[in-house]
Amino acid sequence: MNLLLPGMYMAADSPLHRLDPRVKMGASLLLMALPFAAQSPLSQVLLVGLVIAVARLSRAPLLALLRTLRTVFWIGFFMFFFFLFTTPGEVLVNIQGITLTWQGLLAGATQIYRLCLLVIITALLTFTTSSIQLAHGLESVLGPLKRLRLPVAELVMVLTIALRFVPTVFDEIEKLVKAQRARGADFRSGNPWRRMRGWIAVFVPLFVSAFRRAEELAIAMEARGFRGAQHRTRLYQLSLTRADWLAILIVLAVSLIALLVEQRGSLL
Amino acid sequence: MLIEAENLNHTYALGTPLAQVALRDVNLQIGPGERVGILGASGSGKTTLVQHLAGLLQPTEGRVLLDGIVAHRRTPAALAQRRRIGIAFQNPEDQIFEQTVFREVAFGPRNLGLSQAEVATRVAWALELVGLNPTLMGGRIPFALSGGEMRRVALAGILAMRPHVLILDEPTAGLDPRGRQELLRRVKRWHQEMGLTLIVVSHNLDELARLVERVVLLKAGRVVADGPARRVLSDAALLRSAGLDVPHSVALLHALRAAGWPVRTDQLLPEEAAAEILRVRRAMEEIR
Repeated sequence: MNLLLPGMYMAADSPLHRLDPRVKMGASLLLMALPFAAQSPLSQVLLVGLVIAVARLSRAPLLALLRTLRTVFWIGFFMFFFFLFTTPGEVLVNIQGITLTWQGLLAGATQIYRLCLLVIITALLTFTTSSIQLAHGLESVLGPLKRLRLPVAELVMVLTIALRFVPTVFDEIEKLVKAQRARGADFRSGNPWRRMRGWIAVFVPLFVSAFRRAEELAIAMEARGFRGAQHRTRLYQLSLTRADWLAILIVLAVSLIALLVEQRGSLL
Repeated sequence: MLIEAENLNHTYALGTPLAQVALRDVNLQIGPGERVGILGASGSGKTTLVQHLAGLLQPTEGRVLLDGIVAHRRTPAALAQRRRIGIAFQNPEDQIFEQTVFREVAFGPRNLGLSQAEVATRVAWALELVGLNPTLMGGRIPFALSGGEMRRVALAGILAMRPHVLILDEPTAGLDPRGRQELLRRVKRWHQEMGLTLIVVSHNLDELARLVERVVLLKAGRVVADGPARRVLSDAALLRSAGLDVPHSVALLHALRAAGWPVRTDQLLPEEAAAEILRVRRAMEEIR
């Protein structure tokens, strides 16, 4: 695996790794929502500053973090041009009836900025929180829904397993691509038909092995007494430490200030 | 084909905290027709090394030359060289995807752009080579075959490309003893009949002793020995320092020597060891 993707866990020890998963999930949601609620430049500076500080704390290499943005390159690309061409306002360029507006340019850039923040924050969350911790946090947060007879624990288990196999599947794809490339499959150049044949040769074995793995996992879980989640207990109980409270305080303070700046800005 | 690794280094996940060095300063030359074993404990870099030799990975540092041409490049010349190398990954049956055995084996030759008739000839030829009857097996569904048969279909798919170099990564892993014996016999025959260069990755010393004439020993990504199989595979201290054991015959001869018998310890195969024991016993009787 040569690439860290958002959604992958990066085993390491950092202050961010040690935080309670519930705190990290809550903070991520809040920080992701913030650029939509507070739009003044000053609040953005605050927010970006906080994200950069958190990134430093996480010990995630900057380059790896920035590389995760590649996953949304095309979405960002299309979003930018969509807003560029569809936002009305002060005309900047006019080419044969197609107008580009200053407002459109700004709107497009804003969308890209928000998208990048979303990806970086998600990446920071999953880089520093193992899937087991994520699931544990989620189960604890969604706990009240159990009263409504929602199978929270089971859904969380499904999610844990799915997350657990993300890196496995990527490793498998990489291996299959190499194996089929050695048999002359073409993934990069050549005509589309040949390229598609190459990908079929990767995805069929991938699904075969995924189903086999699912079956083995089910048997292994049953063999170790898994009977759904109702009788399940946890070895580690979640509890908030001083660092967690500090983190909550910082995130809330930054959010509040950003929103206040916004209010003042609109009053001015 | 001459395969050369020059100062080859490989690090997985470079630039992330997950970075892991797999190969360090590997220098290696493998000439046409050689039978080379790549030996080492788990995680010593065997698989990474052979994938480099097949031009499937981009080195972190250094390079691999195939008849003088840099292997991993995207040029037509490099592609042409790579196509002369067949590589069977560990558990090659995991890459099977087609609906029939015939189409599975034909995937490689078709990618070479051969005519229908030539593809059919090659498929039949390759299936014969792995001991499967083309008329009986061609139309079968590969996923319905036994594990051993699937492995042979996968190997046929590689042989059908008529490689000059055949790389096998743990070819007998997961086969029963009879399947192992049979596959080893076939591999040896392919080498003799087609003049293939053979590169076999394994940590099974008894198998390597039967199959190869030269052994490259890896330890933590470094080449710690490269020489005749007889010398490397009988050097107990060297093998143990690399996290391996010695072939059974060698272990027996070492034990006899420790018990006072003046046997040579570099007899790798059971039949060789037996002959050596008999020779020493006869000599001892004559003295008496």
